[in-house]
Amino acid sequence: MNLEIRLHGRGGQGGVTCAKILAALYVTLGKSVQTFGDYAGERSGAPVRAYTRVDDRPITNRNKVYRPDHLLVLDPTLLGDETVSGLAPGGLLLINTPDPPEAFRHRFGRFRIATIDATSIARKQGIGTRSVVIVNTTIAGAYARVVGLPREALDRAYASIHLERDLPAARAAFDAVSVGDSPAGQPAEAAVPPPDQSVYVLPLTRHAASAPTGLKTGAWRTQVPQYVEHLAPCNAWCPAGNDVVGFLQTLLHEGEEAAARVLSETQPLASVCGRVCPAPCMEGCSRRQYDGTVNIRELERWVGDHATVSRRAERAPGRVRRIAVVGSGPAGLAASYEIARHGHEATIFEAEQALGGVLRTGIPAYRLPRDVLEREIDGILDLGVEARCGVVLDAPGVASLSRKYDAVILATGLASLTALEVPGASLEGIEQGIRFLHDVNLADRPSLHGHVVVIGGGNTAIDCARSARRRGAERVTIAYRRTEQEMPAIREEIEEAQHEGVEFQLLRQPVAFHGNGRVAAVELAEVTLGDPDETGRRRPIVSERTSRLACDHVLLAAGQSADRRLLRLGDTIAEGRIHRHGSAPNLFVAGDFATGEGTVAHAIGDGRRAAGRALAALGEPATIFVRPNRAEAVPISGIHFDRFPLRPAAVGDRLPAAERVRSFAETNRGLPDAREAERCFSCGHCTQCDTCLVYCPEGIIDRTATGYAVDLNFCKGCGICVAECPRDAMEMTTS
Amino acid sequence: MTMHMISANHATAAAAALAARANRSGRGFCSGVYPITPQTECIERLCAEQIPKGSVVRVESEHSAMAVCMGGALSGARTFTASSSNGLAYMAENVFAAGFYRLPIVMMAVNRTLGPPWNIWVDHGDTLMLRDSGWIQFYCEDNQEVHDTTLLAFRLAEDEEVLLPVMVCQDAFVLSHTMTMTDIPDQEAVDRFLPELRLPHRLTDTPRVVGGLDFPHQTEVHRKQHLDAMGRVPGVYARIQDEFERCFGRRPPDPVVPYRMEDADLVLVSMGTTASTVRTAVDEARARGVKAGALRLRMFRPLPERAIREHLAGRKRVAILDRDSCPGLGGIVWGELRGLAAPGAVVQNYLIGLGGGDIRPEHVRGVLDDLASRDESGEPHFMEAGA
Repeated sequence: MNLEIRLHGRGGQGGVTCAKILAALYVTLGKSVQTFGDYAGERSGAPVRAYTRVDDRPITNRNKVYRPDHLLVLDPTLLGDETVSGLAPGGLLLINTPDPPEAFRHRFGRFRIATIDATSIARKQGIGTRSVVIVNTTIAGAYARVVGLPREALDRAYASIHLERDLPAARAAFDAVSVGDSPAGQPAEAAVPPPDQSVYVLPLTRHAASAPTGLKTGAWRTQVPQYVEHLAPCNAWCPAGNDVVGFLQTLLHEGEEAAARVLSETQPLASVCGRVCPAPCMEGCSRRQYDGTVNIRELERWVGDHATVSRRAERAPGRVRRIAVVGSGPAGLAASYEIARHGHEATIFEAEQALGGVLRTGIPAYRLPRDVLEREIDGILDLGVEARCGVVLDAPGVASLSRKYDAVILATGLASLTALEVPGASLEGIEQGIRFLHDVNLADRPSLHGHVVVIGGGNTAIDCARSARRRGAERVTIAYRRTEQEMPAIREEIEEAQHEGVEFQLLRQPVAFHGNGRVAAVELAEVTLGDPDETGRRRPIVSERTSRLACDHVLLAAGQSADRRLLRLGDTIAEGRIHRHGSAPNLFVAGDFATGEGTVAHAIGDGRRAAGRALAALGEPATIFVRPNRAEAVPISGIHFDRFPLRPAAVGDRLPAAERVRSFAETNRGLPDAREAERCFSCGHCTQCDTCLVYCPEGIIDRTATGYAVDLNFCKGCGICVAECPRDAMEMTTS
Repeated sequence: MTMHMISANHATAAAAALAARANRSGRGFCSGVYPITPQTECIERLCAEQIPKGSVVRVESEHSAMAVCMGGALSGARTFTASSSNGLAYMAENVFAAGFYRLPIVMMAVNRTLGPPWNIWVDHGDTLMLRDSGWIQFYCEDNQEVHDTTLLAFRLAEDEEVLLPVMVCQDAFVLSHTMTMTDIPDQEAVDRFLPELRLPHRLTDTPRVVGGLDFPHQTEVHRKQHLDAMGRVPGVYARIQDEFERCFGRRPPDPVVPYRMEDADLVLVSMGTTASTVRTAVDEARARGVKAGALRLRMFRPLPERAIREHLAGRKRVAILDRDSCPGLGGIVWGELRGLAAPGAVVQNYLIGLGGGDIRPEHVRGVLDDLASRDESGEPHFMEAGA
């Protein structure tokens, strides 16, 4: 055996290693081998060659390979007469391409052609860098098959040069390679042109031509960088569909008025959410993995509180639809806002005397001052939304609305309260926390006294406990059946409650209330945690061990559900719409009433979704908000932490705890400025930071009015700009 | 012994590491390294080697790399470094110092064209620049020879009759980056071959000045000692060849390697990997009835003058293939050898494969055709092989 193999690839594709693998394959057969590459021209993307010789005897030929028996082409754009020069008729031509061998027959029919889509296999197997696929280890598997080597030769060869990790790709290529028919006969042009440079002795040195200038290195490219916006985690996590990264970056570069315009596309309640939203965006924030999440909630509050942007709505060009919205909590308000923004008429029906729903009745003023709520509700009404307060509806009332309006959206929240089915639950002094909050918030309820026990671990429980402190309770205890980790309440609220002296009895569940007419003690059973339930939280297991806790009041905050009295028996809800006897009347549902997800942000997103559904059902142009897929968000590996100096998050200034419990004044006075926005990584969104421009080894990225331009005449597709982008705002594409 | 598919760069590093470990019971190992293409792979591999006693120091320049080796050697450590081309030029002052201090340092030099303009491919001009530095020089032909020569270089350099630094030269890329199956011996075998280094003039606890001022006569004495040491190299080398063969089962080539010289009229002399191609061309010529033969000059310093004279005795036409150029003279090897041919012989110089041009058998055939047609030697003949 005396075999010469030549490979043609581009710098970065791994041609030299590929040639080495081929050599290793023949070593397993006991052959002498020699393998080397062309060096110095191997800049990323440049056409490069590598060589392997195989012989039964020791190899002394030190030349490059001019008359190969086998030719491998790692990049089909390199195929040309010069590439195949020296390959004898009938010689093997193995090409990395998705095309079948027949596609090359017209031009290279004199060779034995085999093709393999090594790039796809390598990409699927994740071989290469984040920006560039490397095909060398894959195509070698195809080669082994084409030359008739056994599969085991692959295993042994890859092990011998420590490439076991790439063996699956090689095996896949071994199985997938297509081999064309052997060339029939010898075509007329079969004579192999002699390799150039076959000169003997030149009498005189030719004058060296100047090195070619203006070489269009862009022709070396197999992939091209592009500026592509990727989904930022904050946006992916926001259930309201807010452009979080957009408003943060706008705030940073253009100020609060511009940021408010970004938010107002989706968010009518920036000041409210900036205070009471549990901020899932901050959970998703990439910076959380570094030096702490960006304080997005308080930046949203900054924008809501400081911008004076006035919203306007154009009337819809065609028919103006009239839609009734029942309930004026965040879902109802968001639905009305969306309807009005589309130029249609929304009319809100509210059972209470004022708008706001749970924002007004459930959330205490120390978290959400009333003037803030009023201002944002006024902003919605300014769009032309009509409001009718004090209207209590039942199912016939809803039916009547559905006849008068083009559509009705039910957004009455979780009006039905979970009762506690334990002995003594009807004793005096035991009441629903939601009612207590309602009375505190709306009716200036008289003071409490003594020891108040709150049952539950959600925001309602915390609100009850902290409100009770402010209403005169000497001692407040929260009894919760899981641990602090499982509490659904906002973390900062729990901490503030602790600072205000609220006590916690964790892993405790009430099993009875005792007292003579009026509650005097609660009997708490110890709880252990079992396996996680469907919500992912560990299931509480109530034990026989109990203890009594003396108390004067008990507030129940153990859950709420939708009040279905507005519906008829047999009604079902699907895709946010009510279905009745096989048809779908013009009744839609929104917010907690529909989903029970329980946060303001979810309610806003679902309110917009319901408005979109209602308008779409009426044939109006509307988009139905779809929550982004978190799996598509920029992964943490896409962010270069080392480009960002450490900087702890800014937090709003809090009133001292001792002062807080004396009144319902807002405890959080907010951020001193908006500089916290500087901490935003701007994941997946180009900030024109110039990193790509600085790192481009060719210096061919230029600024434009809107971003950057890559000079494709000279871009070799090395992928360095993409790999260096601090925020994953670029990607390599094969187009 | 196990076979490994490795480049000559890695084969060199493997030899250096084996030699380093073999001195573990003595004063250990010391190496100053600084990277330059095409030598970088070698020192990268060396840095990754486990060497229980000693250290590889990553310094800021070639000049310092050699300085570290000199310090290490003076304290009795086994020493090694590697460089190439302009790196050697920058190192040159200390290369001479190492030679004149008679320190048994081994250096791998990858032959690369001196710039500017920059060129990273093979050309022997860089190490030939250092021919008068007092170092022994070998030029190798294949990966196994590079590895074996590196191993024996320590033995030769440290021999008490020699005590001279040794440069092991290999062609850029054609050897340095080409992978072939290479036999790497076990540590135990190397331990037997390479005894502990005992440097007679090593620095001990007593402070001493090394390399102070020489007056003219002292310099005359030192130069004469240096010349004499070089003169002893061929004899010591022959002994080491025997010893190497005993330990490892293969014999390192002689200082001058003849090929089909028995009745050759036309003799081609070359160094490094050019000799492989020359042999192919000689075979072709023989097949055509042309009485061609070849000599490979493996040891350049000391110049094996006697062996060359013997091989060239009676030959009418000799071609010296230089992969280097000395402006104002021609080829450096030709300049050295032209006086060693038989009186009246044609000794024609061919400058070929400069800057890494791929010398192919057809080029060498052109040399033979030209040589055969000559009745007297002419100007050095410049040939183009590059792409």
